[in-house]
Amino acid sequence: MARTSRFTAQVDIWIFIACLVLSLIALALPANLRESVAGTLRRSFVAPMLQLQKSAERWRSAYLASDRVELRKDTLALAAARVPTLESENDRLRALLGFGAKLQWGFIPAEALQGRGRAEDFTVTLSAGSNAGVREHSLVVAPEGIVGLVQTVDPTMSLAILFAHPDFRVSAISANDSAFGIVQPHTTSGSNTQEASYLRSERYLLEMRGVPFRATLKPGAIIYSSGLGGIYPKGIPVGVVLAEIKTSETWARTYLLRPAVNPTELTSVMILTPQRATKGVASVWADLGAVDSATKRIVAAGDSLARRSASAEADARRAAIDASAHALADSTRRDSLSRRDSTSRAPSGVPADSVARARVRADSIASARIRRLRRDSIAATRRDTTRRDTTAGVRP
Amino acid sequence: MNWGATARTILLCAILILLHYTLRPLLAWRASPDFLIIALLLVSVRVRPGLAAVFGFVVGLASDSVALSGFGAGALAMTLIGFSWSRLKAVFFADHVLLNGFFLFLGKWAYEVLMHLMERRISGTELLLQLFVWSALSAAVTAVAGVLALMALRPVLETRGT
Repeated sequence: MARTSRFTAQVDIWIFIACLVLSLIALALPANLRESVAGTLRRSFVAPMLQLQKSAERWRSAYLASDRVELRKDTLALAAARVPTLESENDRLRALLGFGAKLQWGFIPAEALQGRGRAEDFTVTLSAGSNAGVREHSLVVAPEGIVGLVQTVDPTMSLAILFAHPDFRVSAISANDSAFGIVQPHTTSGSNTQEASYLRSERYLLEMRGVPFRATLKPGAIIYSSGLGGIYPKGIPVGVVLAEIKTSETWARTYLLRPAVNPTELTSVMILTPQRATKGVASVWADLGAVDSATKRIVAAGDSLARRSASAEADARRAAIDASAHALADSTRRDSLSRRDSTSRAPSGVPADSVARARVRADSIASARIRRLRRDSIAATRRDTTRRDTTAGVRP
Repeated sequence: MNWGATARTILLCAILILLHYTLRPLLAWRASPDFLIIALLLVSVRVRPGLAAVFGFVVGLASDSVALSGFGAGALAMTLIGFSWSRLKAVFFADHVLLNGFFLFLGKWAYEVLMHLMERRISGTELLLQLFVWSALSAAVTAVAGVLALMALRPVLETRGT
């Protein structure tokens, strides 16, 4: 028993030594032989394990990739959500820049910080104060028109009431000076359905009261400040007429106005100094309106020119295709006539299937010619078009 | 070891080898658990030293075949570890889980040391950092994973009597 045990222990040691020797031999193998042994192992019983490892790594990569994709999707969604805000802000800032250039002097640019509370619906905090030259009752305007009036001034900030404030009043006039009235916030709830629909869609509305009965205003008419009253100079847009509304004042008309400025989109404003307001600003908005309408006209003209050139190009293409189609029809007619002649001239001994074969061959030749002609005409049209585009694209 | 115990050991070994090639790449830790070492310990304490050496040699050679350099180093290290564990089982192991964990740590760390010394890919401070930080950490993670595996598989396992 002890001998057997000693024997097995010796066998274990010999096996261990053999394994050690084999390991050392593997270590000492030349590179090419080592690689061939390793390759045999990799291709044989290690192969399933490697396959498993590869699958696991692929799962991990897929998981990480899905995370990245999700992250990228979120980033894109976030960026896309910011685009409209940035665009409108950009437009506003551009408009303000142009407006500043028109005013030339006597204005203080300020940021409009809108309150979120219910009580702050009709006021706006401005980021400029007495240090910047803002005084009480200074006029606050935007490129679109009247915003409000400064009520309280601190050294670094000021508080202004918006046109929607119950205390706001401005003497107004229509663009053709035919109708006068006083513009004030529209506070009464709508009685008729038309007014109610406006109220639903628009939060800040104005009404022009005391318009003489003989003066009628059409929807869309622009209303400006009249300059009477001494606070608001003449010629600042106040709003646009939406509709006439019925009130208890039967001796005068009252019109519902959509304000020129949307307070919810207000971010940057200009505060006019008293001196600038005294000098008058009517020409500023008149010029702005002229520039705006000129820009619109230029854009419209550009559009119509582009449309005209596109239709001319389409006409030219259609004409080329028609011409090639005519040529094609003529050649096809000629082919069919000659084929009929040759068929009639064919000797009586010629079998019918050979005639049919000849007809098929003639048809295929005709169709090949048609295809070639069509290709040529299309290529020519394309060449012409390309040349025209290139010539148009070259600038002196 | 009877047939049932042999079959159970083979099955558990296969599961551990499977985990080595699936869970490790999924985790992709720098110091990840070495399930081949745990499988070697599982086998070594249940078979004769000669067989443990052969098992270590085969497993080591298989892992060497997918390594870039040091072909044979893993086989040598695993042979030594397998034989040593099998010889030492009568003296130390018994069925103490924490002692198994300690030997797992020691075995994995010895394997890492042998591999790095024989491969000679890194040297100096980098080698010291690798051996005493990353290899030690990997050995610790392997020991923890091994202890958890042994505790979970305790009802199934059956240690060979000495």
